[in-house]
Amino acid sequence: MEEMTKQRYSDGERTSIFDNEFMPHINSMYNFAYRLTLDEDDAKDLLQDTYLKAYRFIDSFQQGTNAKAWLFRILKNSFINDYRKKSKEPSKVDYQEVESYYNSEDVDRQITPDLRVETLQDMIGDEISNALNALDVDFRTVIILCDLEGFKYDEMAKILDIPIGTVRSRLHRARNLLKEKLSEYAKKMGYKNA
Amino acid sequence: MSSPDQSQQKNPTKVDCLDMLRLILDGEASPEEKKNFFEKHLDTCMPCYRTYHLEMAIRDLLKSKCGNHEAPAELIDNIKKMISSGR
Repeated sequence: MEEMTKQRYSDGERTSIFDNEFMPHINSMYNFAYRLTLDEDDAKDLLQDTYLKAYRFIDSFQQGTNAKAWLFRILKNSFINDYRKKSKEPSKVDYQEVESYYNSEDVDRQITPDLRVETLQDMIGDEISNALNALDVDFRTVIILCDLEGFKYDEMAKILDIPIGTVRSRLHRARNLLKEKLSEYAKKMGYKNA
Repeated sequence: MSSPDQSQQKNPTKVDCLDMLRLILDGEASPEEKKNFFEKHLDTCMPCYRTYHLEMAIRDLLKSKCGNHEAPAELIDNIKKMISSGR
């Protein structure tokens, strides 16, 4: 008979979990909060709210499971519930359209043949940051989770509450959108169709 | 391990290698698949070669420019204080 959902930690255990399993992720968490809100003050508030929630609900955390994914999920949910409403986020992405895009033959065409490795290496300013920030938050999120934080499909599916297939298609679409943005910057920088 | 899309084999070679490239970029390919891709496939498939290197260059940029927002020390102290006062 196993208690699957909750346990009751002692005060010592709580402190130990918080200090040793939650706090080491605070910089990754702040970076995620900043990339979601795009505002330093909001990012601070979001981070603080998330850690306080994590402590309050620590009994729902199972030791030995992935603390980082658990924390990222809380942060993402807090962002959606408390921050996204406030911000003037444009209309949500039409996932129907995204899914049909993924399933279409268009997927395999080279979308940005003019973007080259050498061009990227010349982007020493804020181009990449601006390109990432310009993506819709749902696309921005999967890039951060996969490319910066190294989460796997199943972890991202849990963090975002979406099926693994949707994680895959969203990531694929996000990478192409990011390349399109970078390509625009490259053109502005004066690189002709190379 | 079962491969996900065995049922739909439309354009085998083209689709398969781009699918594999995606799994590699997403960190989901097995060690054997990676070995095969890097040691055999990449040398002979120009679209994969170009896309792979382009994506890696983008990732390097992302890591160096977008992953460096460290939580302010004051904020960390504040969180620690709030937690210990609530204990």
